[in-house]
Amino acid sequence: MNYAFLIDNRRCIGCHACSVACKAEHEVPLGVARTWVKYVDKGVFPETRRTFQVTRCNHCEDAPCVEICPTTALFRRRDGIVDFDSRRCIGCKACMQGCPYDALYIDPQTETAAKCNFCAHKVEVGLEPPCVTVCPTQAIVAGDLDDATSRIVHLTGRLPVQVRKPEKGTRPKVFYVEGDAAALVPLAAPPASDYMWAQGPPPSALTAAMPGLDVAGAPRRTYATREQHRNSWGWKVSAYLWTKSIAAGAFLVPAVGVARAPGSEPVPLPALLIALLALAATGVLLIWDLRQPARFLWTLTRPQWRSWLTRGSYVIAAYGLALAAQVALALARRPASSTLIALTALLAAGTATYTAFLFGQAKGRDLWQSALLGPHLLVQALVAGAALFARPWLVVLLPVGGLLVAGEVWGRHATEDARLAARLIQDDPRFTTGVLVIGHLLPLSILWGISSFQGMAGALALFGLFLWEHLYVQAPQQVPLA
Amino acid sequence: MTIERLLPGSALQAYPPPSKWDDWREYDVKAWPRRVERRYMLVPTVCFNCEAACGLLAYVDRATMRVRKFEGNPLHPASRGRNCAKGPATINQIQDPERILYPLKRAGKRGEGRWQRVGWDQVLDEIGARIRTAFREGRHDEVLYHVGRPGHERYMDRVLRAWGIDGHNSHTNVCSSAARLGYALWSGYDRPSPDHARARFILLLSAHLESGHYFNPHAQRIIDGKLAGATLAVMDPRLSNTASMADHWLPTYPGSEAAVLLAMARVILDEGLADLAYVERWTNWREFMAHRRPGDEPTFGAFLAALKDHYREFTPEFAEAESGVDRHRIVEVARLIGTARGAFASHVWRGSASGNLGGWQVARALQLLTVLTGSVGTPGGTSPHAWNKYKPVFWEEPPAHARWNELLFPPEWPLSHYEMSFLLPHFLKEGRGKLDVYFTRVYNPVWTNPDGMTWVEALRDEAMVGLHAALTPTWSETAVFADYVLPMGHAGERHDIQSQETQSGRWVSFRQPVVRAARERLGETFRYTYETNPGEVWEEDEFWVELSWRIDPDGALGIRRWFESPYRAGEKLTVHDYYRWIFENAVPGLPEAAAREGLEPLDYMRRYGAFLIEKDVHGLESQPVAVPPGAERDQETGRVRVEGKPIGVEVGGEVVTGFPTPSGRLEIYSRTLEEWGWPEDAMPGYIRSHVHRSNLDATRGEMLLLPTFRLPTLIHTRSGNAKYLAEISHRNPLWMHTSDARRLRLVTGDLVRVTTEIGYSVNRVWVTESIAPGVVACSHHLGRWRLHEGEGSRWSTVRVRLETRDGAWMLRQVEGIGPFASSDPDSSRIFWSDGGVHQNLTFPVHPDPVSGMHCWHQKVVVTQAQADDRYGDVFVDTNRSMEVYREWARRARPGPGPGGLRRPLWLDRPLRPVDSAFFKP
Repeated sequence: MNYAFLIDNRRCIGCHACSVACKAEHEVPLGVARTWVKYVDKGVFPETRRTFQVTRCNHCEDAPCVEICPTTALFRRRDGIVDFDSRRCIGCKACMQGCPYDALYIDPQTETAAKCNFCAHKVEVGLEPPCVTVCPTQAIVAGDLDDATSRIVHLTGRLPVQVRKPEKGTRPKVFYVEGDAAALVPLAAPPASDYMWAQGPPPSALTAAMPGLDVAGAPRRTYATREQHRNSWGWKVSAYLWTKSIAAGAFLVPAVGVARAPGSEPVPLPALLIALLALAATGVLLIWDLRQPARFLWTLTRPQWRSWLTRGSYVIAAYGLALAAQVALALARRPASSTLIALTALLAAGTATYTAFLFGQAKGRDLWQSALLGPHLLVQALVAGAALFARPWLVVLLPVGGLLVAGEVWGRHATEDARLAARLIQDDPRFTTGVLVIGHLLPLSILWGISSFQGMAGALALFGLFLWEHLYVQAPQQVPLA
Repeated sequence: MTIERLLPGSALQAYPPPSKWDDWREYDVKAWPRRVERRYMLVPTVCFNCEAACGLLAYVDRATMRVRKFEGNPLHPASRGRNCAKGPATINQIQDPERILYPLKRAGKRGEGRWQRVGWDQVLDEIGARIRTAFREGRHDEVLYHVGRPGHERYMDRVLRAWGIDGHNSHTNVCSSAARLGYALWSGYDRPSPDHARARFILLLSAHLESGHYFNPHAQRIIDGKLAGATLAVMDPRLSNTASMADHWLPTYPGSEAAVLLAMARVILDEGLADLAYVERWTNWREFMAHRRPGDEPTFGAFLAALKDHYREFTPEFAEAESGVDRHRIVEVARLIGTARGAFASHVWRGSASGNLGGWQVARALQLLTVLTGSVGTPGGTSPHAWNKYKPVFWEEPPAHARWNELLFPPEWPLSHYEMSFLLPHFLKEGRGKLDVYFTRVYNPVWTNPDGMTWVEALRDEAMVGLHAALTPTWSETAVFADYVLPMGHAGERHDIQSQETQSGRWVSFRQPVVRAARERLGETFRYTYETNPGEVWEEDEFWVELSWRIDPDGALGIRRWFESPYRAGEKLTVHDYYRWIFENAVPGLPEAAAREGLEPLDYMRRYGAFLIEKDVHGLESQPVAVPPGAERDQETGRVRVEGKPIGVEVGGEVVTGFPTPSGRLEIYSRTLEEWGWPEDAMPGYIRSHVHRSNLDATRGEMLLLPTFRLPTLIHTRSGNAKYLAEISHRNPLWMHTSDARRLRLVTGDLVRVTTEIGYSVNRVWVTESIAPGVVACSHHLGRWRLHEGEGSRWSTVRVRLETRDGAWMLRQVEGIGPFASSDPDSSRIFWSDGGVHQNLTFPVHPDPVSGMHCWHQKVVVTQAQADDRYGDVFVDTNRSMEVYREWARRARPGPGPGGLRRPLWLDRPLRPVDSAFFKP
């Protein structure tokens, strides 16, 4: 059994009945949507045409939301429906990064993630979802791809169909007959602040980064709902990356020093304490960012093992324990074994770099699908550590970090979405002034002796690091996904 | 807990089978994926938003006996279980925390915003006594019922006939009466019923894939027809959603449609594509020859030559010059229509017909194509509406009245198809009469009609309107100026019978209060529907019975007897009695269908909500008629009459039913128009609109404003209380073509002042390629407002300040849409701030001299807003609007007509009086 939707654009008249029937069935709050109809106008008068596109969860065969969800709140049923259980959701919003289609939202009533669930409660008793039954022109077909007698098999077998973003490898199961690239591809007609009968989002940096949108006849989005994925990870997540770098680097840099000089002092207590403190701050930020903070332990107690959020939580927890053990040894004035130090260093490196895998699971964020991210996170941790304990190292680390930043921003990007996100960073004065000048050039010039405020170099490097994390987390979230 | 699947395997059904409707079990959607069972009783009713009368199925929770949601009724023959967005949004209207729950009586001055809650008894006693006094004093014309959307088939007709007044006023002359007149002049039937599903060519001068009579049922069939191979063409200067689905979009300059249609007719005639046998058989060409070409041989050949000659000037080049549509495209479409072989389905309802001076000729020109292609009443063609519409009859019909209320049918417009309703305040201000008791029923003229401020002036004046009772489910800009605001139910809270010409077939559907129906099915009994509705929301059926008894408590006025039960002599009529009688006696086939299920007819309708009386109705004009001795046959037309009453028409040597026109045929030539002062328009023709390019002064920057288009999600002022609809659509910017915007140095979002003949509004511009150059457009669906807190739904109204001095009115928004606290947490989540701009206030009245229809399109000047203009500002000078009214009134050619008639006897009118009343004394 494998349920899927087919949207027949030969029939869809853009009436929004499906959207409202869905809202009524699920009592979906205002401001969020499980299914909606996108309008795109294109062409020059009198050859103008409007495209309607029913837009919703694709019930992917390889659903990134399921993979990234740390608690099995999102799951794929045996009948192919991707469903969710709000009682298991911790509100981490990772699914909103994972989904390349902007299908998920946080329900303001329950403060948990939600999306189209194919009305599994109806399907189980043998009924079509209300969006299907309400449709005046029968443009929406719900059916079983494994049932050769079903209408959806008949139609998908007979007609050419399109899906949204096949390149994501998610194997989406909402098939469009006569799907139009102007609507299927979000950037072909990005969100606008004025729709034909509704208010759009306020003008943003995005429009500035995309020239040529106001050319008459170019595809133009003329109706859309509010984007749901946007800014779902805010400053707390940026700050978590930063504190995590400090937590990792505060141990790693001294530890590398230990490794360089066998038999020397173990990682000193202040470094351990700073690492532990920064790690605690990381945990606080992570929990604070949850919409269900009381459920934070579920990442550990109800794990979904494929999620790097789960794995990362364990790494962080283990790192915390290892640090605590060393603090305890240090307080007892007993040396830590080199095995423990090596293990802790490994966990520190894991703490610094697991996020690369987590961000890799965020299929909705093309910029994050970067091979440089893992090494970069490690270098960021070292920069943070060096800024605190080994400023001279910065002379090497900052240029390396800078090169990695340059690689992320000016390097070749595989997709238009990634390019746009990079462009948003480039265009942001916080990048040029903050990250490049204040975060890199200024500390380097201090260290090269051009200035006499040597103590400032570390602080500036840390400041630059935070700004970079923030831009790097925020920019891809501005790219429209639907 | 597991509920058994309807079908094994993975197959899905659209709806629970009716056999399970009494106790339907499904999983609680909120608890999911925990499997918690919920039990519902599924009760059918009929949507109360637009006029299509689509079926709804209420899910009444058996634990709470409250409605959880509305889906479609799969047994409804027209909507077939499907709905537009407004169907499922009905639940918002029922649960709206802003709705009016109890009768209110004005406490301060009219429009001051002070109200007190009163009981229904007090309301009925006070209004009943006032009407009784009026009737006893012979002031029958001072009692007026004004309906926004006629809902219940013939119910009010019966009430008003029982009262013996000429007191029915409607909204139709701001809506559809131009197209209606055009259709009626052809066939005596004033609406088309296109059979889209089987058409080969579909031509829409309307936007039936998103609005109109009848959006959802027609959209289903248009798309079915298209997928089955029909070609779809749409004439609309704006890229509507409908136009965007068309194979041929013909963006005709507004008002030029008839020219294009006549050019197509010319192509069809010249290229030999016309079904000449049909034209010869069914049109009144002999009458044309006799009156227009008396010197010529009265042969069909001569007629054909004359016809071609008549339309000679309508070349494709002329049509292109008028419309802006490429002439090759016009010829191509004409050939496709001409080869549709009798399966040409078409529709004009509002659009160009209601926008333009002479818009009624658009419908006539369109119907000319239907006739030329022999597509009248054929499968895939266009039928007269009455073939596909059911009308009930009653156990006893009150007699027709013998009055003629000139506030409704004034002498200037003898052919006005409906009442001159939108001129009521102008007539009152002129002193043509006054109103003692005025009912507005789901009618919001202050907002919907042109020149709303003149309405406000009349409604505020107690010398003009003695008592105003607003019967409405929701607050409106008009109810604010009432003395009584009387809450009436929404779709699942009232009884009505509904039937519409949505397809080839005839059906009847039953709107009912679903909670009452559910609880009665479970054994409870109720006297009044408000006992089961929220608060004391009542239904009109019961209101009018109660009121009639209070007008005539002892029966002395002869009114009460019409409101007594047909089953229990002398007892008050109940809603059960009323519908029971109709379903038992007046719906062909229903009693038998009910009996097959072991049900009484009323129970059958309560359970299933709709009944298909017949399907595939065609050829009703050709039914043989038995000719009694003494029948007379008219030589020119073949009309057969008995004692002056037409019984049929002779066609091809046989007497058949024909059409309800004077000739019994399809009137390509209207003797009526000839005799009533419009000889130049006696044939389907082209009248240059008041907004024709030649009437616009380009040097002043005048443009044409198309102010009538509708959105798929809203319905006039009825749907502002549906949060899910307001969320999708909440602003109405001014659409303007890129080239015009460039000329005016405007970009999307710029504030503009739109100046009309009587004032201006301030809106934002939306620059687009989806509209014809030279035309600006603004949807009339948005721009709702409230004067005081509590007097309007905050989902959709902005708060305004209204100031006036000597007829100069200024309306300014003081508070936009925003979150508010209520029992519905969603009200705190409102994220939009725009409520749109109320443009209709700035339109003067434009009564068409023939049809009486308000011609909506406006001549406007669009400029960048001035320094102190603010979004949503509206300024109007009602002195100027009275002048414009008089200018247009002077264009009319007043009656009486031949024989001292106020109006041609053959042309119907609402609440038709006895024939003698048609003659001016």
